[in-house]
Amino acid sequence: MSNDIFFLAEFADGAPQRSALELAAGATELAAASGGNVVALAYGPGAGDGAAGLGAHGVARAIVLRDDAAPAITAGPAAVEAVRAASPLAVLAPATPNGRDLAAALVGLADLPAFGPVRAVRVVDGIVETEQATLQGSVVTTSRPVDGAPQPSVVLVLANTFTPTEAGSGTAEVSRAEASDHPFTLATIVESHPADAAVVNLEEATVIVAGGRGIGSAEGFGQLDELAAALGGAVGASRAAADAGWVPYQLQIGQTGKVVKPALYIGLGISGAIQHRVGMQTAEHVIAVNKDPDAPIGEFADLFVVGDLFQIVPKLTAEIRRRKG
Amino acid sequence: MKIVVCIKQVPATTAEKRYTDDLRLDRASAEAIINPLDEYAIEQALRLLDAGTVDEVGYLSMGPEQAGEALRRALAMGGESATLVTDPALAGADEWATAAVLAAALDKLAPDVALMGMASDDARGSLVPGAVAARRNLPLLSYGAELALADGQARIRRLSPTGFDWIAAPLPVVASVTDQVGEPRYASLKGIMAAKRKPLDTWSLADVGLSAEDLRSGALTRVTDARPPEAKPPTERIENVSADEAAAKIADWLAARKLV
Repeated sequence: MSNDIFFLAEFADGAPQRSALELAAGATELAAASGGNVVALAYGPGAGDGAAGLGAHGVARAIVLRDDAAPAITAGPAAVEAVRAASPLAVLAPATPNGRDLAAALVGLADLPAFGPVRAVRVVDGIVETEQATLQGSVVTTSRPVDGAPQPSVVLVLANTFTPTEAGSGTAEVSRAEASDHPFTLATIVESHPADAAVVNLEEATVIVAGGRGIGSAEGFGQLDELAAALGGAVGASRAAADAGWVPYQLQIGQTGKVVKPALYIGLGISGAIQHRVGMQTAEHVIAVNKDPDAPIGEFADLFVVGDLFQIVPKLTAEIRRRKG
Repeated sequence: MKIVVCIKQVPATTAEKRYTDDLRLDRASAEAIINPLDEYAIEQALRLLDAGTVDEVGYLSMGPEQAGEALRRALAMGGESATLVTDPALAGADEWATAAVLAAALDKLAPDVALMGMASDDARGSLVPGAVAARRNLPLLSYGAELALADGQARIRRLSPTGFDWIAAPLPVVASVTDQVGEPRYASLKGIMAAKRKPLDTWSLADVGLSAEDLRSGALTRVTDARPPEAKPPTERIENVSADEAAAKIADWLAARKLV
């Protein structure tokens, strides 16, 4: 057993994803409290080439699970081998579909305690402690492993829980995980259909302008694009807008879409149903514009504007552009 | 070809929820429903049954005895039979223990596809499908917007960062689906009547070959504190003003918080 903190580091095209940099920062924080090292479990296309670069973010060692374009779950058995060999104190995983698949592989194959998705994780007197909003945000719980539980604790971490540190100059020592042949490795991508247009990763946005049923059409999202551009942010949507085909599902925020935690969230024509709310309730600042004075979002927004978004949004975009000069 | 859909009974989304003195969710006090995201898994299975791709759909749940009601409701939507694993030793089971029990029960039921919703409404860890696949030594196909079965293979259509992929694995598999599979059907009156006569087996922990010791009292994790979320300052409202004024006020509000 060690006091090391492992984290899952997803790569695409040889570059660490934002979740990897956030978890590198989180693992560094935890390792400072536990007195251990920070170790990355790298996977995804180009992970082998990019893993050494994690050293610039405080990572002492990187173990490359696999670095091809196969589904993330195929890296699960290698992750289990690496974790079994080192028995770290905790493994941080991004609370994304890929991160959850790998976390589940660890929990199921190595019989480990699982936490999350958490909004905070720390090491207190050598014990992992997590904080989670549960039951649609109506309860906040603190959890720990039971006495004598096997280590590591596997912790799903919500996006934006940790802030990536500025890149330094270090280099991580890179090794390759042993290949392992659990049936998880049998999943293969048999067809790939990339989108026609570029799709942003909402979890990386610090400002999100989201539209719902009230936007009314795909064209209606044009003015959201303008406002988001003026604010340096990205456009998101409710499930209703994605189901209607106005935006791709990658932009859906909520229980079955992305869980986001931007500094600023602006909800336009979104009623604020619980399923949407659980995807954005940890945003630092929430503004909503809705023509319905009784929309549920008016009960939890910081600023609630009752009015016609089609009138207000273009004027707001112009006003922000004017102030920014 | 046989599918077993795993379902969880949860407190209704809008129900008042509270924790008991021993920091467990008080499941007796809240109105209980089928986890809404599991209904999409049921719908996906029944669509494959309607199409003749599979010839049997069954259900599996782990929970207190009342969870039998959720299984009856699922049977009212369609399918043949259901199994409930219930045991006093399972109160407070976490994801690890839940996966262990479901995996053991699925080993006995031996479906070609064990199908689940992508998450549960109350906990949202989404780890159970993968942990069940791990324990059963089977491939995992997760977060499918659609499930297709052909030529000894299961395939799911899954969102990728920029579009979607079809991911395949040889049967048998454990799979999970999202709310993109299509709206769940309502149970007909005829379905509700028929469900009362469908077989619903109840298994104990021993029936699936596990003991309370195997499950370490049902959990590797414990809740040490449960409290209401931090109170937020009251909402500021802007209404009955012109669009110009509203836009200026929003911009002021943003500027005061250094967001522009």
